[in-house]
Amino acid sequence: MSPMKSETRSYSLQRRLLSMMAFGFAVLLLIISFLLWNYARGAANRTYDLLLAGAALSVLERVSPGANGPSVDLPSSAMEILALAPDDRVVYRVFSPDTGVITGTSDLPFPADIPLQATPVFFDAAYGDPFRFVVQGRQMNSPQGRLWVVVQIGQTLDARRAQQMSFFLNGMTGLAGISLIGLGFVWLAIRRALSPLRRIEADLRARAPGDLTPFEGAPPREISGLLEAINSFIARLDRNLRLTEGFIADVAHQTRTSLSALQGHLSLAADSSDLAKMQGRLTRAERQAERTVRLTNQLLANAMVIHRSDRATLKPVALKPVVRDTLAEMLRDSRMRKIVVTFDADHVADGEDMLIADALSVREALRNLIDNAVRHGPPDNKIDIALDVEDDALVLKVEDAGPGIAEADRARATERFSSIKQDTAGSGLGLAIVQAVADGHGAKMRLATSRNGGLAVTIAFPRLVRRTVAPLVWVAALLLGLSGTGTADAQTITVFSATDTPAMAPVIAEFEALNPSIKIVYEEYQTVSLHEAMLAGATPDVVISSAMDLQVDLVNRGIARRLDIAESADLPDWATWRSELFGFTFEPAVIVYNRAAFDTGRLPKEHRELANFIRDNETVLSQRIGIYDLRGSGIGYLFATQDAVQGLQAQRTTEVLGRTGVRTFCCTSEMIAATAAGEISIAINVIGSYAMSLAAQDPRLGVHFLSDYNLVMARSAFVPKAAEHAAAAERFVRFLLSEEGQRAIATRSQLIPIRSVDDVDTWTLSQLRAQAGSFLPIRFGPGLLTYLDALKKENFLEGWEASVRPPR
Amino acid sequence: MRILLIEDNEELAETIVDRLRAEGHSVDREGDGNEANELLRHTRFDIILLDVNLPGKNGYDILRSLRARGDLTPVLILTARSQIDDRVVGLDAGADDYLVKPFDFRELLARCRVLARRRSGTASNVFVAGALSFDRAAKRAIVTGKDIDLRAREVQLLEILIDNLGRMLTKEEVADKLYSFDESPSLNAVEQIVTRLRRKLQETPLVIKTARGLGYMAYVADEE
Repeated sequence: MSPMKSETRSYSLQRRLLSMMAFGFAVLLLIISFLLWNYARGAANRTYDLLLAGAALSVLERVSPGANGPSVDLPSSAMEILALAPDDRVVYRVFSPDTGVITGTSDLPFPADIPLQATPVFFDAAYGDPFRFVVQGRQMNSPQGRLWVVVQIGQTLDARRAQQMSFFLNGMTGLAGISLIGLGFVWLAIRRALSPLRRIEADLRARAPGDLTPFEGAPPREISGLLEAINSFIARLDRNLRLTEGFIADVAHQTRTSLSALQGHLSLAADSSDLAKMQGRLTRAERQAERTVRLTNQLLANAMVIHRSDRATLKPVALKPVVRDTLAEMLRDSRMRKIVVTFDADHVADGEDMLIADALSVREALRNLIDNAVRHGPPDNKIDIALDVEDDALVLKVEDAGPGIAEADRARATERFSSIKQDTAGSGLGLAIVQAVADGHGAKMRLATSRNGGLAVTIAFPRLVRRTVAPLVWVAALLLGLSGTGTADAQTITVFSATDTPAMAPVIAEFEALNPSIKIVYEEYQTVSLHEAMLAGATPDVVISSAMDLQVDLVNRGIARRLDIAESADLPDWATWRSELFGFTFEPAVIVYNRAAFDTGRLPKEHRELANFIRDNETVLSQRIGIYDLRGSGIGYLFATQDAVQGLQAQRTTEVLGRTGVRTFCCTSEMIAATAAGEISIAINVIGSYAMSLAAQDPRLGVHFLSDYNLVMARSAFVPKAAEHAAAAERFVRFLLSEEGQRAIATRSQLIPIRSVDDVDTWTLSQLRAQAGSFLPIRFGPGLLTYLDALKKENFLEGWEASVRPPR
Repeated sequence: MRILLIEDNEELAETIVDRLRAEGHSVDREGDGNEANELLRHTRFDIILLDVNLPGKNGYDILRSLRARGDLTPVLILTARSQIDDRVVGLDAGADDYLVKPFDFRELLARCRVLARRRSGTASNVFVAGALSFDRAAKRAIVTGKDIDLRAREVQLLEILIDNLGRMLTKEEVADKLYSFDESPSLNAVEQIVTRLRRKLQETPLVIKTARGLGYMAYVADEE
């Protein structure tokens, strides 16, 4: 009986059941998550579609019939509604199927199957990035007759996706919690179900070593088979134990009997007085001694073979040399001289005869087979030994020309102590040893009749088949890590900037000092021409501008690269958009005046009072007030439109300014210079950074803040997607936002840093601190797009020009 | 013949000594390994029967120092261990044959005779077995007083077989010994030479046994 082998790794039933259940739960979760994902998308869409619908409605409301067809005055509320999804880009257009596009982006996708109707229709379409669109129409009367005016607004999906993910994660968290609780119950149930197994284990442990009685009791149906198997195993163990006991008894019996016979013959010989009789007794005693020797030898061989099959002594062995050496050795025996021995291994090539074996045991088996043949066969016996390969087996065949074994006796022949023929009887162990060796090697032993009428014994060993293993080719990723380090070479990045070169130069110098490998080419633009250049397809590495609305327009077109800049977390909320556009300065709009012209105390306190102040001093201020030319100055237009958003007094102020013959300037510097020189007395809505740095040095200049609100804009930077040196460009933008960059801005340039910088205090900063609370920053986002609407802008500028430059 | 038996078991030693003396041999017996080793330094024997487990020096050590001294006296190992590993060690150490205890005395005598003949065949110039007498120096074989005509290869083969009496030689081994390095040995030619030599030695007790697939073994058929 072979011992139980535990080659396969043990596993826990409980863990297996639990992992199966966990797998089931996981599959369920997967299905539910799929459904939940779709549901979350629907829910997120419903939520944000309301924004689109609201915006569309507010635009439609402002559509009016005009002489040249319908017109629209884009309401800022529309963009503000859309900005509730703060990071999403916005596209829109207002058009009439009959007269064409009225305003907005003309090439928006419009599927043919969308009906023209007065209720909103939503659809998804790609416009560069995926967009969600709303389409809503309205019929109106016009000189051309009744026609449709349609508003189409699209929004990118960032907010929807975030909302969908949030819905989804919330739902999944709950479900995962419930699944864990469910698994907990499963675990309890498994433990309870497996308790009978533990009882059996306890019973087995508690048993006395000799207790081989079967298990009693009524097990659950599922393990009754197992219990039966254990019981039958116990029964077999019991039987085997009895067999072993029987074997020992047999061995004792055989040895003692054999020795008794020997002793008997010898003592008879010793007592015999007749010399001839004594001779006979002695001859028989000698034969008996021979049998005893053989019995002992074979008992030892049997014990050795069984002992060696218990220990794992098997290793790869070539069988051919083992057989050949054994035969050559046995042939030295003088008993073998008359016996013809042949060995045929011609059909086995070298290397084909490998098997996992114990050479010593195989040798012993072969010896016993040959010995049997010699013992039972005639003196001129013919013994043919053959080795052959049959499929996956290596077959050793020993045939003799002896008497053979009758078919009926063959099954019994391999049992211990069962000599078939009494006259030539050996120990009765020979074939039993061979059988034990075959069993120990997983080989099949078969007895048959040989070609010469004798016994043919075949042992089919399982062959050790060597399979050629295709060599594994390992591909080493040798170039790993080389790609990211090639930036050591000097790089030149191009910055297109609408900022005075003297203001930026010290900041750039500081950056180049810190990053010697990067050189910056700085090209100065006006805000509007920079915007136009970008629309025309320019590809600088960094774009900087003070015109917040134009920057938002560029980013809203999807041309900016998303940057992962840790410093941006320190920026105020209003100063960044979509992780693509970053404000890096803090620049209030201020009133600059000539100190000689006014007492500080006479200046107006609030925007409301500004119009009255101008009207009251109309004669003194005639031709002596400066403002930006809104057509040429982006920043001027930005401040003016933001003032208009704040209330109606802006309109009044513009009208009053027009009556005083206000002068318009293209640029901040000229306007301040004129103020300082006394050409004008006061300049309104001037960029505070320049004004304050000049005022700090020029005693003629005063800077005035209003107490109700002061608009604040931020100079902003972004890196275009098409930038050639994106990594270096990102480093520059990061520098602008960093501690060092902000310090450089505070101390070396006229600009004002957006972050507070430790240990740095300038006159400008102290002035600003005094006004804290009155600042109204302009927020980056779709809200800035309202006044960029072509129609709206034209209407605004026309209105402004009509006020400021009345026809003479 | 002068035989040395090195065996520590008194009973066994006595039976072996008696048996060998009954055959007419002169037998010395030594029971201690060290003493046996000393004895072998000064005295020559025709055959040494050597037990493995001995007090003092064990059998293999004795054998090794014997061979180290260049002494080529045939040694037959007597061992109680049936494990093949021991036998291999014994033969590798320079033993000529071995027997596992308990052995049949007739087998012991037969093996002794083989060893003695093998030794006489190599040590002296004339090998005699019954009617056959072979003179190595003169390369002449005489059967019952008459010269038999042997070709050069047959003489060589006869020499090889006498040197390896009682040992199985594969056909390849025979070919290697029979032919020089640059002659290409043909196994068929070996077979033919063996067949011819066997026919010529038919009348003599020298038997060339062929075991197909294993090789050739020469032995002297026992007189009785």
